Amino acid sequence: MKNIKGNALFIAFLVLLVLGMMLFTGCAGEPDEAGEEEVASESVLRVALTTNPNTIEPATGDTRTASNVAWSIFNSLVWLNDEGVIVPSLAEDWTVSDDGLVYTFKLREDIVFHNGYAFSADDVVFTWERGQGSDITYREDFLAVAQMNKIDEYTVEAVLDTPNAMLLLQMNEHWGIMSKQYHEEVGEEGYLQAPVGTGPFKFVEWRAGDRIVLEAFEDYFEEGYPKVDRIEYRPIPDSSTRFAALVNDDIDIVSGLGPEQADSVQAEEGVTLVTYPLDRVFYITFNNMSTGIGTPIEDKLVRQAMSYAIDYQTIIDRIFDGYAERTAGFIVSGNLGYDPSVEPYPYDPDRAKELLAEAGYPDGFSIEMAGPSETYINFEQVLQAVVGYWGEVGIDVDLQFMESGMFWTLQANRELPPLFGDSWSSSMGEAYPRLLGSVGGEDASYAAWLDPVLVDLVKEIQLSADQFDRADVYTEILRYMHEDPPFIYLYQPTAFEAINNRVKDYNPRVSEQYYLKGVSVE
Amino acid sequence: MLKYLLSRMFYSVALLFGVLFLVFMLLHITGDPVSLMVSRHATPAEIEALRQELGFDRPLLVQFAEFVKNALQGDFGRSFRYRQPAMDLVVQRIPATIELASVALFMAILMGVTIGILGGSNPNTALDSIARGLGLLGQTIPTFWLGLILIIIFSLNLGWFPAYGRETFKFIGLTLPNKSIILPAFALSLFTTGQLARFTRSAVLEVMNEEYVTTARSKGLKKMRIYSRYILKNSAIPLISIIGVQFSYLLSGSIYIETIFSWPGLGNLLAEAVSTRDFFLVQATAFFTSFVVIGLHLVTDIIYMLVDPRIRYR
Repeated sequence: MKNIKGNALFIAFLVLLVLGMMLFTGCAGEPDEAGEEEVASESVLRVALTTNPNTIEPATGDTRTASNVAWSIFNSLVWLNDEGVIVPSLAEDWTVSDDGLVYTFKLREDIVFHNGYAFSADDVVFTWERGQGSDITYREDFLAVAQMNKIDEYTVEAVLDTPNAMLLLQMNEHWGIMSKQYHEEVGEEGYLQAPVGTGPFKFVEWRAGDRIVLEAFEDYFEEGYPKVDRIEYRPIPDSSTRFAALVNDDIDIVSGLGPEQADSVQAEEGVTLVTYPLDRVFYITFNNMSTGIGTPIEDKLVRQAMSYAIDYQTIIDRIFDGYAERTAGFIVSGNLGYDPSVEPYPYDPDRAKELLAEAGYPDGFSIEMAGPSETYINFEQVLQAVVGYWGEVGIDVDLQFMESGMFWTLQANRELPPLFGDSWSSSMGEAYPRLLGSVGGEDASYAAWLDPVLVDLVKEIQLSADQFDRADVYTEILRYMHEDPPFIYLYQPTAFEAINNRVKDYNPRVSEQYYLKGVSVE
Repeated sequence: MLKYLLSRMFYSVALLFGVLFLVFMLLHITGDPVSLMVSRHATPAEIEALRQELGFDRPLLVQFAEFVKNALQGDFGRSFRYRQPAMDLVVQRIPATIELASVALFMAILMGVTIGILGGSNPNTALDSIARGLGLLGQTIPTFWLGLILIIIFSLNLGWFPAYGRETFKFIGLTLPNKSIILPAFALSLFTTGQLARFTRSAVLEVMNEEYVTTARSKGLKKMRIYSRYILKNSAIPLISIIGVQFSYLLSGSIYIETIFSWPGLGNLLAEAVSTRDFFLVQATAFFTSFVVIGLHLVTDIIYMLVDPRIRYR
């Protein structure tokens, strides 16, 4: 009797052990969700997300990851297709007035939302109204339209204050048409937590930090789409884990891999590496709007010399294993108006010294530079290498790194040093956002370089509704910004993604956008 | 006794307040989040308008006072990014972290106490050296490195466990995690395992030299009985407080482990909130985790006071 009591601790220990074993191994291999067995034959696409979407609605989703999920659920009036052409979506046709101020859209009459509500002009007007809210992330894309009028049940008219060549692209990016009636029923917060759209997939479930589940919308208006029954988006923040999950066949599509993982993917069977140069330019800007005033960088010859002094290719080879592209300017391959005859500055330290001497700095000079820390892959190393090359031609640079929040606050306040490194992306297939933000003039908060010629050229783009006219202006800008460089154009990074070989027709764009309606799994 | 209790509670509240103040100030001295919230084409006037709308233009102390005032009423503000009340987001993540912490604690007790007993009852033998080595290893191994190694071995090479995520199953109405919890829980448990192994070893060593153990031996009691009845029971007392404190740390969520294994808990949420400078979300998470850690310390203190008269009459 006493013996048993004495061993109570030991017995309790054993019971815990057995319970633990049951928990760990008893359930191994069992289906984790009730009912998953019945639908085993359905095709499921499992997509890794690099970050957790804040919302899965196009006007508020603040990362590319978020908007990629959102565009599985929503449609806009128009769609920029894989060939870079604007084609009809919820609007079957549209006309633009001669002065470029009135766009009239004829809407499709056969569209229903996922919850069965019919789509009409009211929903378009409502989406525009909601987009005016101060808490809408991409509000400016809605403010671009001064007034949205309902003409009849299936016709709307967008009235602009000034001609805006980008309007259709802005709609394609952030105008996901929402159901007015459903929004009235559930409110803004309810809508964002269980969104309803007209897109190829309908919302099923969102478990915070864990997964977002969508399923095919049987009444989707494009015949033959979507091609899978179900999508499971899984946020996996760590790139090594994403790689492991792909190789382990726990996931079908992963993005945001590093160069070292790209090599590993190529060694694995059953998976394929997908690479492309991103529509993002890494650069060092010269600051002639605040702290750079009165310093040597105001001289064009000095800026050219600094461009010649850097061995870009060695930086790309050493730091990125060759996985990055050189670029001659802010209009990159794949952008409207790109001209391959404008070539990047070659590495020519002798020419750099000549130019410095010509500019009156034969012994070089000292200057300060800043960069954001731990924000972009290997960017600190790149800037350090650049400082090394500049040192060889006599330019002594004091480089300091700052925490990114501080860095961008200082950038907005124009308090950064005469030189700083950063990157700028564009998502529209045109370099316009990058140009407007960086050389658009005093109103551009993050601009550091002011050149009236460029300000006027950027304005000209905005007013050219015709794509071919715009292309010519872009080419002119590319040439101008090459000859009189406001920036050191460092490189375009390479995107590394990988897919399981059973995935077909996955085509990510240079902007890291992808549409899953045409993707199938074998 | 009441005086002691009150002073402990006062210190706990003061500490909680101090932690919140520190978090608040650290967040603000690194710049305000408005620059991240507006698009890069926003004009300076738009940025300033948003800054005013959100109240970031006011003195820091005024902002902090308002935060505390609202927090006392249970309002921790809204997350900028998620457009939801910050505390709601924290509450969503608590179950996953509790699961992970509980399983990790269970593993740590199982491994740590076993290693400690083996080492402590065979002092200065090869077995003891191995046990001490394991204990030290558990406390010094970097968790993010260990996490990746575990994934490579047990997920990629052996295929026993999934590489990431939290899969669940239903068991008598409860939603429980399946084997997907084992790798992250094991990685999380190692530090506590090392701690427990070392404390158990020294506790066992100490008790072994007590006179009542010598008496029991000289009475000719069986070895098993001496262990179960005298040594283990008495060694367990100091361990209780260590387990309590360790559990509070496990519960506050591990940023590295949860991020590497994509475990949807508090650490995962906090890592993201910090990197996106989601102020109110960071503050709500910091409040919750400090509340748990400080609260469990207080409870441990009170329990100790009840069992140990030396503290009660101090």
